[in-house]
Amino acid sequence: MSAPLILAVPAKGRLQQNTESFFARSGLELVKPRGPRDYRGAIAGFDGVEIAFLSAAEITAQLDQGTVHLGVTGEDLVREMIPDADRQVVFVDQLGFGFANVAVAVPQAWIDVRNMADLDDVATAFRLKHERKMRLATKYANLTRGFFADHGVVDYRIVESSGATEAAPAAGTAEMIVDITTTGATLAANGLKVIDDGIILRSQANLVAARAGAWDAQRRETARMLLDRIAAQKRAHGYREVRTRFAAMNDTLLNTARQKFGIATPFGGPTSSGMLTLHCPPKHVHALASFLREHGAEAVSVAALDYVYARDNPVYARLVAELERNTSRAAANPL
Amino acid sequence: MTVMSSMATSTELRAQKLISSYVRAGYSPIEPPLVQPAEPFLDLSGEDIRRRMFLTTDPTGRELCLRPDLTIPVSRAYLASAAAGKTAGFCYLGAVFRHREGAAAEFLQAGIESFARQDKAAADAEMLALGLEATTLYGLAAPDIRVGDVGLFSTFVAALDLPPAWKRRLVKDFNRKWSLAHDLDQLALSAASGPPEYQGVLAALAGSDPKAAHHLVTDLLSIAGIEAVGGRSVAEIAERFLEQAALGAGSRLPRETRALIERFLAVRGGPDEVAGELRNLAADADLSLNPALDLFETRTGFLATRGVDVRKMHVSTAFGRGFDYYTGFVFEIHDARTKGPLIAGGRYDGLLTRLGASEPIPAVGFAASIEELAACGGEP
Repeated sequence: MSAPLILAVPAKGRLQQNTESFFARSGLELVKPRGPRDYRGAIAGFDGVEIAFLSAAEITAQLDQGTVHLGVTGEDLVREMIPDADRQVVFVDQLGFGFANVAVAVPQAWIDVRNMADLDDVATAFRLKHERKMRLATKYANLTRGFFADHGVVDYRIVESSGATEAAPAAGTAEMIVDITTTGATLAANGLKVIDDGIILRSQANLVAARAGAWDAQRRETARMLLDRIAAQKRAHGYREVRTRFAAMNDTLLNTARQKFGIATPFGGPTSSGMLTLHCPPKHVHALASFLREHGAEAVSVAALDYVYARDNPVYARLVAELERNTSRAAANPL
Repeated sequence: MTVMSSMATSTELRAQKLISSYVRAGYSPIEPPLVQPAEPFLDLSGEDIRRRMFLTTDPTGRELCLRPDLTIPVSRAYLASAAAGKTAGFCYLGAVFRHREGAAAEFLQAGIESFARQDKAAADAEMLALGLEATTLYGLAAPDIRVGDVGLFSTFVAALDLPPAWKRRLVKDFNRKWSLAHDLDQLALSAASGPPEYQGVLAALAGSDPKAAHHLVTDLLSIAGIEAVGGRSVAEIAERFLEQAALGAGSRLPRETRALIERFLAVRGGPDEVAGELRNLAADADLSLNPALDLFETRTGFLATRGVDVRKMHVSTAFGRGFDYYTGFVFEIHDARTKGPLIAGGRYDGLLTRLGASEPIPAVGFAASIEELAACGGEP
């Protein structure tokens, strides 16, 4: 067998569980054939892919260098760790878990600070009064710098923080922070509040491709099959299958249903015997069932879908189009 | 001997000649350490410089860097010396280190830093004249001299009838032209930008006795059990909260004030022209630009005395150098063949206090880029 496509996935924690269930939903079971301590794995019954179990930060670094082809990691890490991220990687797909906002938070006691313009003014006033700059604790130094520059804020200093960033203001090591937050509860417990227009990035887990990876024909084919499964699952997840049989169905009625309920007709109009299969977004299923019966259907069945394969694969098409635009700093990695 | 090394030698020789001329002018040679604490650079030049710096940490976790310029290292060495606080002048020739797109990260700078001279106009003029000496030494006939004066803008803003918050912001954004334009738009629109969160309270407090209002806000904060975290005292918070009350009460930048600011920033030309226009502007608006404008004119006199053809200088009130530590005279010397300035400098009277001096110490200096001078220059 030729060299495999390397897919890097998180090695521990909630992110690992979510990643494994994400692939499992597409019938892709990540396995460790040499035992649970192994950091290399495979996909059961799916050839040509090697799984690398790594930390999210390591996945991001290897995507930058192109030593893995695909990886699951947070957009926040990619944008923080890779300058000019879109030139180095392709964001292939958003995975719907690992949600986190990277946000600017200040002490709740700062009742005079509501937005970034206030923060800008307070930072300058602080520098003039105290002869030093306000300190900001974060592990997102690059995201912070870009965001603050966009808002014209200059009178601040970044204090690198590797853990418990939200405790820095109370501990007296910083005046404000930039950190990830999901509900804001941790911030509130530490006497902090998020600034109105202070959301730097709304992040979630992404499937990311390395532009600098070696993307030969065989690996592309492997990626196509992988993304085909994922797309089929995703498409299936967005629809319910609605089946019915009735003679009165015609193009006009079908068009009305399309407009009202956003249905798709994967197999065309009714067959000669009047059998009809529709794909309908879950929220419109019941309304569609009523509509069909009002127009003469005797019975309507609704079922969940596991996979919907279509001829086109827009996710893969985009990946290939993006890989053709060679914007990477490094030449293609020989690996 | 290879061609490369003979070129390097000739560049070096010429740079040595430049430094010798600075020594003859009374400046002591100084060689600050290559490795410096990172803190002062980040604190004084802003976080943006971080990505261009070569950073490392010592075993205790203290951030160190390869010096990205020599102004701060020379200032620190001066403050640590026995001469601290006394009049002293230094010259240097040495490597500085910055990430630069498409250029070597290590490059040579020569320059001068002059401390604690009270005759500011004369000291300013001397810096530009010594800078020009370098271009002469490298055989550049008619370099482009660009001059500005940050002090004129801060004096002008201080004289305007504006709330303190807006003045702070205009001065801070002077070095960021798009921000400044944005500020003017914001100021003009401030009434339309939606009510502040505590508008009712703010309106109620707007007309009241400032001291009583201040007490009320600090009391409310302590009743709510809100402790001051993060370095700002409750008094500071209350003060700015009330300042916002004054701003929120429908105040916005009058059209005439905006026009005046824009008129000020459009003033450019030779130094006499600029001074004349600024005197007219001050008279029209009934505000005083002194002593900054007097200093400007005295400096022009000193420059002429030193043999600088002042009519050929390009003075602009909007010219700043993008560094927040300049407080007065700023200048750059350019040549059409290179993008960046060959020589750049200015007055930084606030810097030494920020580096720990107990008393304010006036300071002015400049740095010359040896590679660019050599690239533009003809035969010595």
